[in-house]
Amino acid sequence: MAKVFERRLRPADSPLAVAGTTALALVAAMILTSFLFLSYGAHPLQAYFALFREPFATLRGFGYALVRASPLALIALGTIVSWRSGLAYLGFEGCFVIGAAAAAWLALLTAPGARLGPLPGALFLTLAILVSFAAGGAWAGIVGVVRARLGGSEVLISLMANYVAIFILQYLVSGPLRAPGSLPETRQLPRATWLPFILPGTRAHAGILLALTAAALVWVLLKKMPLGYELIVTGFNQLAARYAGINVARRLVLAAFLAGGLGGLAGTVEVLGSQHRLMDGISGGVGFVGIIVALLARLNPIAVIPTAVLYGGMSVGADAMQRRANIPSSITFILESLAVLLVLISDVLRYYRINPSALWSRQSEAPTEGTSGGTLGGASG
Amino acid sequence: MSGAQILSSAFLVTWFAASVRLAGPVLLAALGETFSERGGVLNLGIEGTILLGALASFLVSLFTGMTSIALLVAVIVGIIASVFLAWMYVTVKASQVVTGLVFNVLALGIASTVYRRVLGDAALPESIAMFHPIHIRHLSDLPFVGPVLFGQTILLYVTLALAVLANFVLFRTHFGLALRASGENPAAADSAGISVDRIRYVGVLISGATAGMAGAYVVLAQVGLFREAITSGEGFIALAIVIFGRWNPLKAVGAALAFGACDALQLSLQVFGTRIPAQLLLALPYVVTILAISGLFGSKAVQPAALMSPYIKE
Repeated sequence: MAKVFERRLRPADSPLAVAGTTALALVAAMILTSFLFLSYGAHPLQAYFALFREPFATLRGFGYALVRASPLALIALGTIVSWRSGLAYLGFEGCFVIGAAAAAWLALLTAPGARLGPLPGALFLTLAILVSFAAGGAWAGIVGVVRARLGGSEVLISLMANYVAIFILQYLVSGPLRAPGSLPETRQLPRATWLPFILPGTRAHAGILLALTAAALVWVLLKKMPLGYELIVTGFNQLAARYAGINVARRLVLAAFLAGGLGGLAGTVEVLGSQHRLMDGISGGVGFVGIIVALLARLNPIAVIPTAVLYGGMSVGADAMQRRANIPSSITFILESLAVLLVLISDVLRYYRINPSALWSRQSEAPTEGTSGGTLGGASG
Repeated sequence: MSGAQILSSAFLVTWFAASVRLAGPVLLAALGETFSERGGVLNLGIEGTILLGALASFLVSLFTGMTSIALLVAVIVGIIASVFLAWMYVTVKASQVVTGLVFNVLALGIASTVYRRVLGDAALPESIAMFHPIHIRHLSDLPFVGPVLFGQTILLYVTLALAVLANFVLFRTHFGLALRASGENPAAADSAGISVDRIRYVGVLISGATAGMAGAYVVLAQVGLFREAITSGEGFIALAIVIFGRWNPLKAVGAALAFGACDALQLSLQVFGTRIPAQLLLALPYVVTILAISGLFGSKAVQPAALMSPYIKE
């Protein structure tokens, strides 16, 4: 006797099934969050409208959305490179901080009268990108070496390394790089070192262009280059990769280096584009939210950009909502994390197919193939 | 500051007493996490669970003034949170790392939303009802040992008792054996008739209960207030203690004391105004933990072999 929900041996992995279940999860997350809006006496539709109006219907708000999206996108890209290579790296808070510190240090060196003195803008920017990429890359690369050569768990080591990086930052801004004053922060970076603003009348800066370039490069690396293919094979099955002649240890270290470098760039973008000084607490959890962005983009480098802009925009909209309607902006944390958790849960749905004929007659003998692999029934998520 | 001052007994007493005090909550959370990890589940979500426990205990203590009920509610909240986490880890078989990390963000959102929803801009008292250090006649008056060991709140003694109990349960009972088997070789455990899923649920629930209690510990015995950042990092420190203590409840006591000692020394040195950067001391336990799990010293064999891998029955 056929069941309405038949278990598949393998999950349906057609693009339609993936997109369908993801969409269902997002809708479910929004419905659940609606109850929170209701508790504030706000109409959910109006609340969502308010949440997205500021970042996506006003130029100023969109500029802020891009400002917040740039570091998120870079960290998400780093997540993609490492996770698809089979390295569950979680140390982006650390890479972010190290990259930001490296860029700020370089920028302070180019202040008039400092050791280097003013540099031409393009030269400084190139140097800053190289230095912070190398610094973040080296920071994460160590974890890659430990995993590849010694077999230590990269999950736990990279989490612990975050704290070490944060203490290094605290030391720098309260000691050697500290500006006179009461707060633990550096002096403002020289104006010539700031990333150029790209949209007149907004705070949007060139960091988003950097993120777009990085997304394109990561896509080319993973989709079009033999090296990227080797990384992905390593991620799928290390034994198979080794039999195919891939130097697994070297690929893991490279993946960690690239991921850390992208994390370091995220820090550079934040410090040169938005904060214009280095201070304690500059990361504020962005290293973890970036991972969430990558997960919601399903580890696809192209999808990272819209997802990061959406996330950046939601945080801008939430701040506006808090100012105007006194609804706490922390609701977006709930919305964002529920979305990912429900996407994870919705993956279970793809293990089932719906058998429409069984809906009508319980005696139906021949089960029919459901094309979209059980995208219905998602309300259970 | 002269060497004599550092070695003066007043300094040592303050430092040791603060070390023990700071070690308490993270040790408690680490004890539960040991069970979860011994069963094969890396519960990164304790960071968020601790925060929820802290909020629950704060609110209950604020409204009822009863610390014991506040503690109980925090434990219940911890268990409820971990029912969800365990379902994700064990039944849905989602990535443990992703689930835990994302849950922490969810918990942060829930905690700060609920806090504002319930209290709004209400004026709050300076402090809520808290556990006070208990004074044991004669023992607390002993020089040196008295203030360090016998001037603490009841929660510390409960935590130490739980450490001994945890060690017994883990290594001397059938349940402990089944749990460790599920974490080392779930397939073998399964064929020996152990329900791996059920055992892992219990492990995660234990870690949730102690995490909720650890949040209450911070609020009810140390701070007396609630802030979003009040427990930030405690869960990850507990993870470090589990590793540093090599997945052994009694060794975790030593590991927690080491972490507490670095933290407390850094605080005391700041008061005395030395030139040693505080961050160096703060980073030290993390560096040691990283070295301990790097595999440099062959410690990989200690980690439960099936840690982080969901068990899918063939």
